[in-house]
Amino acid sequence: MKLGFSAADEAFRAECADWLQGQMAGEFADIKGITKLTAKPERRREWEQQLAEHGWACIGWPKAWGGRDATLAQQVIFAEEYARADVPGRVNHIGVELAGPTILAFGSDEQKQRFLPGIAAGKTIWCQGFSEPNAGSDLASVRTRARLDGEEWVVNGQKIWTSLAHISDWIFVVTRSEEGSAGPKGLTFLMMNLHQPGIEVRPIRQINGDAEFNETFFTDARCPADSLIGAVGDGWRIAMGLLAFERGVSTLGQQMGFRNELDGIIAAAKANGAAQDPLIRQRIAQAEIGLRLMRYGALRMLSQTDHSAIGGAALTYKIQWASWRRSLGELAMDVLGQAGEVSAHADYEWDMLPNLFLYSRADTIYGGTNQIQRNLIAERGLGMPREPRGQA
Amino acid sequence: MTMLMDPAPSADALALATSVREYLAETHGPEVLRRLDAASGRDPAIWQGLVAMGLPGLMVPEDAGGMGLGLEEAALIAAECGRVCLAEPLVDTAFIAVPWLLAHGDTALLADIAAGNRTIPLPHAINPWVDGGEGLHSVDPLRRLGTAPSDPPTDPHLLNLGALMTAAQLVGLAEAMQDQAVAYAKLREQFGQPIGAFQAIKHQLASCTVAIEFAKPVVWQAAAALAAGRSSAAIHVSHAKVAASDAAWAMAETAIQVHGAMGYTYEVDLHFWMKRTWALCGAWGSRAFHLARLDDAIIGGAHPIGPEHTFA
Ligand SMILES: Cc1cc2nc3c(=O)[nH]c(=O)nc-3n(C[C@H](O)[C@H](O)[C@H](O)COP(=O)(O)OP(=O)(O)OC[C@H]3O[C@@H](n4cnc5c(N)ncnc54)[C@H](O)[C@@H]3O)c2cc1C
Repeated sequence: MKLGFSAADEAFRAECADWLQGQMAGEFADIKGITKLTAKPERRREWEQQLAEHGWACIGWPKAWGGRDATLAQQVIFAEEYARADVPGRVNHIGVELAGPTILAFGSDEQKQRFLPGIAAGKTIWCQGFSEPNAGSDLASVRTRARLDGEEWVVNGQKIWTSLAHISDWIFVVTRSEEGSAGPKGLTFLMMNLHQPGIEVRPIRQINGDAEFNETFFTDARCPADSLIGAVGDGWRIAMGLLAFERGVSTLGQQMGFRNELDGIIAAAKANGAAQDPLIRQRIAQAEIGLRLMRYGALRMLSQTDHSAIGGAALTYKIQWASWRRSLGELAMDVLGQAGEVSAHADYEWDMLPNLFLYSRADTIYGGTNQIQRNLIAERGLGMPREPRGQA
Repeated sequence: MTMLMDPAPSADALALATSVREYLAETHGPEVLRRLDAASGRDPAIWQGLVAMGLPGLMVPEDAGGMGLGLEEAALIAAECGRVCLAEPLVDTAFIAVPWLLAHGDTALLADIAAGNRTIPLPHAINPWVDGGEGLHSVDPLRRLGTAPSDPPTDPHLLNLGALMTAAQLVGLAEAMQDQAVAYAKLREQFGQPIGAFQAIKHQLASCTVAIEFAKPVVWQAAAALAAGRSSAAIHVSHAKVAASDAAWAMAETAIQVHGAMGYTYEVDLHFWMKRTWALCGAWGSRAFHLARLDDAIIGGAHPIGPEHTFA
């Protein structure tokens, strides 16, 4: 087994790096290094379009749909160079990484025609309407109702924690379309235009002062009858397919961002003397080992030609990186010491390391909590008996 | 074998702490924290309430208008201040500055402090800023920090007092977060049952309880040792600061996890406690500083080890 990237991959890396760094030194220098997800939304939209114009918006998609048919390795490389060039997070990552692949995998040709070009052009921004106030880990208990009314679906209910809904154009929604159904049966996966009177978005403030996620209310919201992916009642299968994209290999490219964060911590430790402390030194060494562990794990995945075989091992990514990064946030604060408590900015704005600490509190929660990941590894990966369910 | 010290607080001290706890529970709930945060300020009525209970004068001698109580009582009250995430400078002024002034025979300000007319921001070389000042932005939206003077004191007794009272507050903070997480785990249902029915949730909370319960006596013991002026006091204080920080830190992380996405919001009050925990874990000596004091003493021989000391 060979771990590593091919010469062609490395040439591709140089191409990515060249273009991305050029952009961050040129036309888009004003957004370089932004960590706050809600900062400069208009410029971030323009950036999505810039990526699209130069063929970088959705490189993993088929060429026929505006992508590059990039291999998994190339997608990882692009994500790495993206982070290395200090480009801010993508406001349409949900469109590119979740909505697009789901439509590609499960949508009809007509739906592909309708939805993919907007994402590929960096023009339609998507968000994810899964969680509800009473359906978080237990996603199958969603209650948002969808009823077919002639040529339209009419949707009523509430989603919550909808990241970036306030700047999005479209939302995919897991709805309960069969009255009286419970659990994973009777669900339908709908795609809805957010710009309509029946949908209201209210921001929720987060511990770091930002308001990247929202409550999304549906009051007789409407979408055409053919807005569903898969069949009526088949929503659970589609949602699970999408979650596999969210938790799986699409996260491999994050590691360069993690590298930047760890480098930031090491630099801070050297600058303030914390690097003299034996305990801090050991924790830095452990963080480095953890990062390399993920790195080699990723390379191992990439070297496998049959990506369908990745399934079982992919169950282990989410908890691994999430736990590692949550500890990294704590290490950052221990390195900064009391200085980490203070911000140079008014208005509750935070520099990279304190923000890393705050943001990483959520890593072990979104996309499936650590507890849910462990259940999945044990039950699906190891075939152990299911957790008993309550009768309520 | 004689018991050198008794880490359990006296009945009188506990009764006093209970009355303070009840008063604060009634007057200083989470809605007060939200109100203070929104108004970005202090409410003089809160301070006046503490004054009316005589708390600024808790350690001020009776002839200067105080109650003349000691560090053990003060540590218990400091824990109550942590429990409600109190932002008023009571602990700094009354439980750190006052005993320090007393130790130096400096009595000029005591009557004023006891009357509630004076609070004292306390610089120390161990802290990069002054708690109780103005002008810096802390992650804890209710904390008021100011720039440190150029030549802050380095007095080790002041550091020990600060670290002890910080440890005591951390115990209260940890217990408050535990209460919030446990209450939420009983209330929140997923998969048809309270999430607290899942062993994965129960075990996390139980582990935190173990850490908190074992931190408490260490803190009371440090208070007793410092009050008695024992030569080992600094070691006990460092032990207390590390144990209380570790317990509170684990509790903060777990409490957020138990709350799921709710725990990541500014709208659920938990974040106030989490951020105070973060701030206090670093205040009056980091974990690394206190561990270094411990390992220096243990390996260097200043802190006698062996059964006749450990179990004395
Ligand atoms: C920053 C952020 C962004 C998000 N973005 C989106 C988004 O764009 N779209 C969207 O739909 N959702 C989003 N979410 C929501 C996320 O998917 C949920 O928070 C997550 O699924 C957990 O649900 P919950 O918050 O309701 O917690 P709960 O499910 O209530 O869980 C509370 C606690 O109980 C534990 N628990 C629950 N069930 C079990 C069990 N069976 N066994 C053991 N422990 C259990 C959990 O692990 C957790 O510790 C986001 C969340 C965050 C924090």
